[in-house]
Amino acid sequence: MQVDQTEDKLDRHALVVAVWLAAGAIALVLFHFGFGAGGRGWLAGGFAAVLAGFASHVIVNAVTGTGFTPREVALGLVAMLAALLALVLATLLVVGFSAQFFLPVSGGLICLVLAVVLTMVTRHGPRRAFEVFDVIRDNNRRAASALPHRGGRK
Amino acid sequence: MTGLLLTLLALPVALSVYLATMVARSQTPAAFTDGGARLPGWAVIFGSGGVVLSGIDLPAHLALVGRYGLQASHLALGLIPAALALILVQKRLWLAARIAGTQSAGEALASYYGSVTLRLVMLTLAALFALPFAAQLLGGAGDFLAALTANAVPRGVAIWVLAFALFLPAVIGGWRGVVLAVAVQSLMLAVLTAASTGFAEATLSAAGYLQQGMTLSDGILSDRIPGVIQYSAGIGKEPVQGGIFTTLALLSSALAFMGLLLSPAMLYLGMTARAGRNLAFATVWGIAGVVVGLLVLLAPFLAARMQGGATGLVAGLAGVDQLAAASLAVLFLALRLVATAFFVTSGTLLVVRELVLPFVLPNLDARGGRLTARIALAVAFALVAAIATFSPLGAAVFASLALPMAAQMFPALLGLAFVRWISRSAVLTGLILGFLAVFFTEPPGLILFEGLFLDLPWGRWPLTIHSAAWGLVLNVGAVLLVSIFTRQGAERQARDLLHDEFAAHWRTDFGGRAARAAKWSLVLIWAFLAIGPGAILGNSFFSQPVFTEGDAALGVPSLWVWQLLFWLAGVPLVWWLAYRSGLGLTTDVGIRTLRLPATVQAQERQAPDWIAASLARVTER
Repeated sequence: MQVDQTEDKLDRHALVVAVWLAAGAIALVLFHFGFGAGGRGWLAGGFAAVLAGFASHVIVNAVTGTGFTPREVALGLVAMLAALLALVLATLLVVGFSAQFFLPVSGGLICLVLAVVLTMVTRHGPRRAFEVFDVIRDNNRRAASALPHRGGRK
Repeated sequence: MTGLLLTLLALPVALSVYLATMVARSQTPAAFTDGGARLPGWAVIFGSGGVVLSGIDLPAHLALVGRYGLQASHLALGLIPAALALILVQKRLWLAARIAGTQSAGEALASYYGSVTLRLVMLTLAALFALPFAAQLLGGAGDFLAALTANAVPRGVAIWVLAFALFLPAVIGGWRGVVLAVAVQSLMLAVLTAASTGFAEATLSAAGYLQQGMTLSDGILSDRIPGVIQYSAGIGKEPVQGGIFTTLALLSSALAFMGLLLSPAMLYLGMTARAGRNLAFATVWGIAGVVVGLLVLLAPFLAARMQGGATGLVAGLAGVDQLAAASLAVLFLALRLVATAFFVTSGTLLVVRELVLPFVLPNLDARGGRLTARIALAVAFALVAAIATFSPLGAAVFASLALPMAAQMFPALLGLAFVRWISRSAVLTGLILGFLAVFFTEPPGLILFEGLFLDLPWGRWPLTIHSAAWGLVLNVGAVLLVSIFTRQGAERQARDLLHDEFAAHWRTDFGGRAARAAKWSLVLIWAFLAIGPGAILGNSFFSQPVFTEGDAALGVPSLWVWQLLFWLAGVPLVWWLAYRSGLGLTTDVGIRTLRLPATVQAQERQAPDWIAASLARVTER
């Protein structure tokens, strides 16, 4: 039974890798060409490829009856932060970057964040999606906070 | 670009090794050769499509389209009847594996017909795919890599390094590891093929297919099928006017594609899949949908830009973007390597499972079996690399036999799946005649006979009919004729055991009389119009409509529209059989086991005396 569960986890992991390998390869080429001779349209295509990868990942979760694993969430956050940092540094340090690329790149990143928010809201509902980040509320938990009209938290 | 190309090429290799390592950690030694017969559905779906795309050797197919135009591109529609043939037999084979404990197509046929010969035939076919067929693909990849790097990576080095890269995931993760790696790369192949075509069309300045069509040699019809049949003695004997792909060539080539889909490796993939909708999804959407769609839609675009060969297209793209060019080069390489890895691994594991472990080393435990399989994999990959390096011509000559010979197994498989009156002697007689016909209408037989005796009056594919069809005509004729006299033979009871079980619990629902008639007649009508003699109508059906005086200005060739139309019509046909008739739907629930008389149980396995004596002479000194 344990072997079966390990196999199922591995199968899902390989499927997620397959999805991101395909989407990532396309996105990489489009970003490379977009930042080179291509321009804004190709950058938008790159972000579309990343969004397609994310949407496919969500579909994989739905089909396999799972959610994002902690490692996947961590990797996603690190990638997003790295992209933000790169955007800020490039805007400050690379001459002409902000005029040509700031709008499409920041727009693409905002679209990615919106996609994540939309996924969380559709999966958990607005309140639970917000409560995932509401760590302060758990710091000084009262018994009354578990009452249904106070949110029903344990 | 060499550095970038090699870095990109290392990524999928590293990923495959990583996946295989994860598999090796989680699976038991006994599951090394069959993945525990629980391969995930998505891997079977992606893997089937990827292996077909890779097995037809897409770069070679594109070169053919570049040489013969849309008549060669029309070949892709032949994958739809091949998918129909696969869906007809796949579920019953899957069931036979669970009911009778037969783990592969060779074992199922051997147990069902009570014939050791059939087991050996299937193993020979597996070896044909695993050695010359795979060596030809690997050699092509080596040639391409050497040409791309301007011989910075010589051909021989490229072949051995690539073979080692394919060997690693196989030896670490076994069957499951390779299937997962193949599946992961297959999705990448499909997406990259579509994206690279779009990228080339959008960025390259030279006129593409829509602007100027394809430039072909004089006398070749670029956007028309050159007739229903051409009375030619065959390739190598006399040239064919207008091109070789007549409608009969297309129809008979579809039978050769059937050989790819009914190859021992593809059947093994299906038999080791989990229960569910995998087989239906793989056949309908993976093969008939995506693969045929990619080929019909995109092949003309890519072929039109490959007049200078695949390296020319990569070089052209490198002028626009280095990374895009390197990705395209990786795509062309992976298109050959996926099938190489798949066929070498499956062929080796089949030989180990069906020949070495039961008959040569029957007393090995699971760990010993795994070690045996690993040693066999090392030998097989080394052999393939050696053949590809030192005998590329020999590999090409013998590889030509793989598809048409595998297609000859269709009557035997159909007998196991549905037709209980097909007897062992009928199958064997048919196979002998079919193999002979294939052998003497393909290069090996022609070279051998003409070298030893005298010139034959025919060449390869006489009358523009593929060798697979010559073989199947004789094969099916012999099966029908011999079955008339032997259908009630002594082994009939053994065959009835399995068919009675199918009839009692696994009846196929082809629908009522009308639905049944509609299904088969629609398939025949589709075949006649799409790849049969009716396809000739497509030459001008949309450009010179029959009820008007003038020509229609479509902007694209009429034959291309015809191909797209019959691709779209073909997918629902496969869907109808796979889903509505349930031929692609499997379940674990309610399976009863039974023992076929000729099945050799694990505890009864023993080495034949002559093998045991030979081994003893070596090991007991």
